Amino acid sequence: MIRVDGLSVSYGAVQALRDVSFEAQTGTITAVLGANGAGKTTLLRTISGLVAPRSGSIALDEATLTGMRTEDIVRRGVGHVPEGRGVIAEFTVEENLRLGAMISSVPLRDGLAQQYEWFPVLGERRKQAAATLSGGERQMLAMARALIAQPTVLLLDEPSLGLAPLVTAQLMHTVAELCTTTGLTVILVEQNAKSALRIASRAVVLYLGRVVADDVAAVVAQDDQLRQYYLGMVK
Amino acid sequence: MRGVRSNQRIVAGTALGVAAVLASILGVGTARAATAFSIASVAFVAGATLLASREFRHNHPVAARAAISVLAVDVSLVLTAFFSATVDDNLAIGAAMSIVLLGLSFLTGSSGQISLGNGAFMGVGAFTVAVWANHHPTTPIAVVLVLAVVAGALVGLLLGLPATRLRGPYLAGMTLAFAVAFGAVLNLFGTWTGGDSGLQLPAAVNAPAWVLHFFKPGTSSLTTNSVWLVDITIVTAGIALFFMANLFASRTGRAMRLVRDNDVAAELVGISLPRARVIAFIVSAAYAALGGGLWTLINNAVTPSTYGFALSVTILSLVVIGGIGTIPGALIGGLIYAFAANVIAWFTAHTGLNPQGNVASQLNGIIFGGLLVLTILFAPTGIAGFVRRRWAAWRAR
Amino acid sequence: MSSFLTSRNVADVLGGITNGVIYSLVALSLVLVWRSTRILNFAQGAMAMIATYVGFAVLAPTTSYWVSMAVAIVAGLLIGGLTERVIVRGLYGKPEINPVVAMVGFLLVLESVAAAIWSTGSRGLPTPFSMVDWQLNHKPVALSPFALYEIVTAVVVMTVIAGLFQFTKLGLRLRAAALAPEVSRLLGVRVGRMLTLGWMLSSAVGAVTAVLVASNYFTGLTPTAMDGVFAFGFIAAAIGGLDSPVGALLSGIALGVILQFVGDYLNSNAIILVALGMLVVSLMVRPNGVFTRSAQRRV
Ligand SMILES: Nc1ncnc2c1ncn2[C@@H]1O[C@H](COP(=O)(O)OP(=O)(O)OP(=O)(O)O)[C@@H](O)[C@H]1O
Ligand SMILES: [Mg+2]
Repeated sequence: MIRVDGLSVSYGAVQALRDVSFEAQTGTITAVLGANGAGKTTLLRTISGLVAPRSGSIALDEATLTGMRTEDIVRRGVGHVPEGRGVIAEFTVEENLRLGAMISSVPLRDGLAQQYEWFPVLGERRKQAAATLSGGERQMLAMARALIAQPTVLLLDEPSLGLAPLVTAQLMHTVAELCTTTGLTVILVEQNAKSALRIASRAVVLYLGRVVADDVAAVVAQDDQLRQYYLGMVK
Repeated sequence: MRGVRSNQRIVAGTALGVAAVLASILGVGTARAATAFSIASVAFVAGATLLASREFRHNHPVAARAAISVLAVDVSLVLTAFFSATVDDNLAIGAAMSIVLLGLSFLTGSSGQISLGNGAFMGVGAFTVAVWANHHPTTPIAVVLVLAVVAGALVGLLLGLPATRLRGPYLAGMTLAFAVAFGAVLNLFGTWTGGDSGLQLPAAVNAPAWVLHFFKPGTSSLTTNSVWLVDITIVTAGIALFFMANLFASRTGRAMRLVRDNDVAAELVGISLPRARVIAFIVSAAYAALGGGLWTLINNAVTPSTYGFALSVTILSLVVIGGIGTIPGALIGGLIYAFAANVIAWFTAHTGLNPQGNVASQLNGIIFGGLLVLTILFAPTGIAGFVRRRWAAWRAR
Repeated sequence: MSSFLTSRNVADVLGGITNGVIYSLVALSLVLVWRSTRILNFAQGAMAMIATYVGFAVLAPTTSYWVSMAVAIVAGLLIGGLTERVIVRGLYGKPEINPVVAMVGFLLVLESVAAAIWSTGSRGLPTPFSMVDWQLNHKPVALSPFALYEIVTAVVVMTVIAGLFQFTKLGLRLRAAALAPEVSRLLGVRVGRMLTLGWMLSSAVGAVTAVLVASNYFTGLTPTAMDGVFAFGFIAAAIGGLDSPVGALLSGIALGVILQFVGDYLNSNAIILVALGMLVVSLMVRPNGVFTRSAQRRV
């Protein structure tokens, strides 16, 4: 379980998050919705230690993550697929995966086999430089690279960006399955609210850095007022 | 309201100046030196009064810069009359160095580039003066110095051409290679440059008779043959300062600062990046050559070993410690250079180090190198930046 | 055949390669830190020089050449690590001239300190192999056992470095940290440690290079022994592209050979001038180096 408590983050004069609190339950998907600039990416980056909060705290189960270095947070089982994919273009597909597997206790070969089973395209392209992959293939690689580390928490920043609807559905299905089978906790940031709300059990809506809703996903999906917040239609 | 007050100040200042003239003529009683001294005083007071008026600085920026330069020259000249010959000499060396530092400061301040070859550019000027004076001993000094500047600018252009496309460390590395290559270049043209031993000037530079006539021998005097070179250097530095102040404030100067801060933005507003970079590089090379030319005159000789890589590093240290990218920083750096050797000698004497020993002979490098690293890490704006911030903080209270 | 091997041109090529591998090594050590930290280490030569003094001056007469070499390499590793931790750490993300200035200042400190401790005088180093050229039909081939040792050492160093980067887990992390620091951190790579390690490796390569340079009895070991070599090494690295290890290697050797011919057929004073000219021209034609593929500039 991830618990975020009273989190505030500023970039100089810009305050990106204001007193954000919520919980992501173990083995479930928590969707984080919000318009552009609402602070979703900032939230994930703060959880993984890339951005230091001005106040507030983040806890993984009983351990406090606030103040820890990114490397250590990741080693505690928090995987983060950053916005814009973040594959290392100069590396081959397999090198990207090997890098991701470095902190995993599972033997490399088994890890690779598992990912190639989930993402067969990657297996076919394993010796290819990541730079030559299509956008969707890169997204899969980024996912696979995070998963191969055997995380207990997965932070996904707009994984459906640039993916065909069918592929998106497939990806979401894989993620949902992992949650039920392995107890993976997922925080899913999405612009594509519909598909996110379909698989999430809870949803948090951010508006200008504030939490404006934190409820069961189905409830959020029904709320027309909230929809205006996360679709960015509020003036 | 403010206009009235500043006019009053000018009147008061001028009155003070007149009083100073009368006092010095009546008081000293010895005609010529006192006259010169008085003229200097009036100029000083008038300049200072002018500058004290913000309105004047705002409405007549060029005149204000001229006034600052005249003032600085004035004070320095008067002071040289009272210092010993050694101190005068130090001041002259330091003033010439200030010119070099102004050039490098402009390069960095305006375009964000750095040169590790300005010691070699100094060498270009120094050898131009020596070689020319040996072939045409009668050429007036001013002309020879102009030749040095031209030579520096030409070499600067040659090396500056790739600067159009280079960023930071590549350019720095290239200028370093130039600094290291300079000795070999001199050797290549050994028949002109005198090889390892360098060149002597055919005759010492003396003051023209009419200038000497103006001053009374035996009194504290602004000019004798021995301080003539000091005077020339200080006046030249004043002129260089004036031009540089205008350059910093000019459209080009401001454009270049834009280049430094963000070259994409600069290109968007239509500044030709390559041109701006090359110009900055050439100006810095020309200023360095001028300083080197003056050094040859002051020392009456030139040796190639002076213009090695170590000098380039020293120049960099001075400009960074003084405050990179600013005019006061360059002047402070020159002043530090003028007296660094004395301070280090004093330090050696008081710590009981063997002055001929290894440690004492390396103190210069250890101190300057160490200060360079510490400054860039902990006070990258140097002394000038530090003072400015303190001053602003003090005024804000 | 034998007259071919002892001919003037072959002599120039052999001599050029011997010099060139040194430039390649310097270039390689510059590329190592440039790729990971975007800092051109102007103190590279001086750091290596100090390591050599530590290896040879401190342990001087008692120990063997090989022990001294090992000590110099260890000293190189330490100096590189310390430099990154103490000086370079504070320079990441600063304007690009700040690291240039700091490293030049550090260069001055190192050279002055070395002169203060060990004097500016040149000291000869023991050499493990003869410097006298081999003979063929009573004519010298421009290759001595020592020169061959230099070339072999350079090849070994480059192979070790290339193998480390290409085929080990550590190498993968080192490359990742250099290419994409933030992504690497998100994968648990301790990027700070990788940067330190990169500096250590670079400095160790430098130490080996400086030992080879100082063993040359024409120059010996002096506090400024590496200045000229550094300049040539930088020129090689800049021509090859500071991002390209292979470029560094090839242009180092090419530079060595070309300059050998210049020195032989023209004038030894023209060598550095020609090198400077080559640098200027190549930077104008290919500002990012001949061997750098993507000419994209970071904005
Ligand atoms: N490095 C930064 N420096 C300054 N401001 C930043 C920085 N990163 C983000 N911001 C600002 O913080 C706010 C939140 O940004 P964030 O990237 O978290 O939004 P987001 O919800 O992920 O938006 P999107 O849906 O467009 O990805 C925005 O106003 C943004 O401009
Ligand atoms: Mg975002």
